[in-house]
Amino acid sequence: MSSEPSDIPSEWWDEFEAAASRPLEMRMRYAFIYTYKPVLDDAPFRAFDSMEEYRTWCEANLPDWLGYGRV
Amino acid sequence: MAAFEYRQAQEIRDVFCRHGVSYLFIGKSGAILLGYPDTTQDADLFVERTEANCEALYRALVELGFVLTAAQAAEVRQGKDFIQLKNGPFDLDLVFAPDGIERFADAWRRRVEVEGFPVCHIDDIIASKEAANRKKDRESLPRLRSFREYWMKTHGDTRRLL
Repeated sequence: MSSEPSDIPSEWWDEFEAAASRPLEMRMRYAFIYTYKPVLDDAPFRAFDSMEEYRTWCEANLPDWLGYGRV
Repeated sequence: MAAFEYRQAQEIRDVFCRHGVSYLFIGKSGAILLGYPDTTQDADLFVERTEANCEALYRALVELGFVLTAAQAAEVRQGKDFIQLKNGPFDLDLVFAPDGIERFADAWRRRVEVEGFPVCHIDDIIASKEAANRKKDRESLPRLRSFREYWMKTHGDTRRLL
C-alpha cells in the first residue's frame, strides 16, 4: 500500500488502489463495456488519410453529446 | 457486438507477435491495461507505419478474423492515419499517426509491458488526449493525470516525455 499524496482526490486514490489489487483479466472485464454509438458504429470500416480528416468527420457527422468534437 | 474481452487482447498479442507486428496499445484501452479504472468500448492500437509492418498487420488482422475487401486491405497496407474496424470478431481502432506523438520509435522506447502487452507510456497516452482536445478527452484528463501521478509513485518510474 502506497502513501496517499495530497493532490490526488482520496476517492480516486482508493479507486486506483482497488484497481491495482485486481488481476488484469478482471480489470478488463469491468472496463470494456459495449455501448452503441450512433453513426460511429453504423459502418463496418472507415479509413481516414489524416487525423484532421477524422476529427473533422466526427464533428460533421456525430451527435455532439458523444463528445468527439474538439473544444 | 459484444464487449472486448481479455482473451481477445491475448489473441491480438499472440497473433501480432507471430506476424511480427510493431504496435502499442494507446488511448483509454492502453490506460486500462496500465491499471486505470474506467470504462471504454474498444481497443486502440498505435501501429508503426512501415511497408513491412503494414503488410504484417494485414495478415494478422485476417488471421484474427477481420473480413476486409480488397480496397479496405489496400488502406490497411497503406497505413492510413486512422482506421476503424468493425468487421471482425471485435472492434478495433488502428492509429498510425496519433495526435501528440511525433514518432512511433519514440513511443516504443517509452513503452510499458503489461503481461506481454506493449502499452504506450502514460505520458504518451495523456499527450495524445491533450493534443486531440475533444470534449470527452477534456472530461477524462483530470482523472487520467491523477492516475499518472499514482502510477509514477507506485511504479517508481520517473520517465517523462522528451
